[in-house]
Amino acid sequence: MTVDTSLSSCARAASAAEARYRIDAPVESRRARVIALDEPAADVLRSVAALEWASARFFVCDTVGGSGEADDVLLRGIDGSPAVLSGELAGAHVVVMVATQDSGANCAYVIGKACWERAVMTAGLVLGDGSQTLGAVAALRPHARVLLPTADESDLVELLTALRV
Amino acid sequence: MDAFGSAECSAGQRETTLVLRPEINDLLTQTGPKTPMGDLFRQYWMPACLAEELPEDGCPPIRLKLLSERLVAFRDSYGNYGLIDEFCAHRGASLWFGRNEEGGLRCPYHGWKYDTTGQCVDVPSEADNSSFAQNVTLTAYPLVKIGDVLWTYMGNPATQPPLPEWEFALVPPEQTYTSKRWQQSNWLQAFEGGIDSSHVTFLHSGGLKTDPLFKGAKGNEYNLNDTKPFFEVADSEGGLFVGARRNAEDGNYYWRITPWVMPNFTMVPPRGDHPIHGHFWVPIDDENCWAYSFDYHPVRALTPEERQAMIDGHGVHSKNIPGTYRPVANMDNDYLMNREKQKTGEWYSGIEGIAIQDSSLQESMGPIVDRTKERLVPADSGIIKARQKLRKAAIALRDQGVTPPGVDPAHHHVRSAAVVLPQAEAFLDAARDDVRVKPGMPVASV
Repeated sequence: MTVDTSLSSCARAASAAEARYRIDAPVESRRARVIALDEPAADVLRSVAALEWASARFFVCDTVGGSGEADDVLLRGIDGSPAVLSGELAGAHVVVMVATQDSGANCAYVIGKACWERAVMTAGLVLGDGSQTLGAVAALRPHARVLLPTADESDLVELLTALRV
Repeated sequence: MDAFGSAECSAGQRETTLVLRPEINDLLTQTGPKTPMGDLFRQYWMPACLAEELPEDGCPPIRLKLLSERLVAFRDSYGNYGLIDEFCAHRGASLWFGRNEEGGLRCPYHGWKYDTTGQCVDVPSEADNSSFAQNVTLTAYPLVKIGDVLWTYMGNPATQPPLPEWEFALVPPEQTYTSKRWQQSNWLQAFEGGIDSSHVTFLHSGGLKTDPLFKGAKGNEYNLNDTKPFFEVADSEGGLFVGARRNAEDGNYYWRITPWVMPNFTMVPPRGDHPIHGHFWVPIDDENCWAYSFDYHPVRALTPEERQAMIDGHGVHSKNIPGTYRPVANMDNDYLMNREKQKTGEWYSGIEGIAIQDSSLQESMGPIVDRTKERLVPADSGIIKARQKLRKAAIALRDQGVTPPGVDPAHHHVRSAAVVLPQAEAFLDAARDDVRVKPGMPVASV
């Protein structure tokens, strides 16, 4: 048997012509929970939630019970429907926390801890101008594996879109 | 619907696969003339070639392709640098064959001669007192030597910005070294590797222990001991700072801070007292780019050993085929893949050297990676944000003529940094001075 060595496997495989033979399997969406940690953040979520998403669900962190456990954290859907954090984390791939101030520090702690225990990825967006959001950034930093302090609300749309949620 | 918009669209117009649509990929990856990203690139001074490629007055010209334009660069007999259309205005012969003589480049076909501004200065077939040559000009761009690099600006002369002020190009020659290599992929997938801190712990793990330009730093231990860093992405005037955070002793964090200045300048966080390094990712055409790799030390000369290591292709540099800027390990020889070293972990991917470890995988994606098939994760937020900023800047330039970030030389005064900070401190607040150039002062490094 003879083997054609005029083109190495890498040179041939990396060509544009070969790209058309790549398997065209659909890319599945990721199950995301997007949680506002304060009311101004909830306002942003309301407009973002109105866009078309594959499987993202949008909430406001309402009440953190005394136990600090996920079963004791009440969420409020953007449509007003109640939910419990532990239930929403079941099957979630990623939780995106959105804050504009440090009033949601307790929520961030409890959500971050619950996600850690369940191996759910976390991301945090802090919306607002730098100096006014330092507290919120500090509150989220230990609990969000990826943190984006930004003045641009469209960053949330960009992030969620790129994550295919 | 605007092919390039996303946040610009109303909710009802929006599609769920917005950022990943092919039109967006085209926008970001096409840099030829009259493309939005091509126009964006033409706002900046860019590396055109290394100064060593035109080593003396009257030396041979070189062919260059930049932003999908074929050019020839030359250094005339008086020492002036020129970057002009590669082809003679007469019959279209390549001026790479030109005779570099008496202040100009003469086409050997019929003797038409051009100066460094592209002005034709002699058409031998015309009468001696003819003014015909005055009406013949080739497209030409400025070519200026700063440091080891010859820089060009390919945009509107009326809006030519001040010269670049990158620290690596401004320190004394004995403190800096720049190389380049040809990468057979679109510029964007090469650049994105420059702000992707999460791959270092895996792909380059062997180099942290053995590479003479990396090894021995305390920071390497933090890298290798904590393979799941946290990331923080913050806007800067010129682009972004991407902070990667790992656990250090006593409840502190080890931060590696990577600056990106639009559109294509990135730096690697330093290690110990090793020279600090970074890259320019310059489009040749839509399927090829130049990776310029620099190393410099702001306060001392590079040692002979360091400089030799760079020449030998260590650190961020590559071992090139002599007389060329093509890496010895390239796609035609399967990058000299070594499965045994892959197995032992000495070279995590089986490929030798930081630069080729990167290029081998980036080229394997295809000339222009199909981003509609990606599965990005939150750790890719730096890449997500950079794409957004590039797209918005290209649209703002196209629609409103807005000068993009990174054009102002003040935006060039950045450094990467590696610092250990208390947990409560925001990396950019605590390290704000560390990520700014302080001439004559050392970098912040661990």
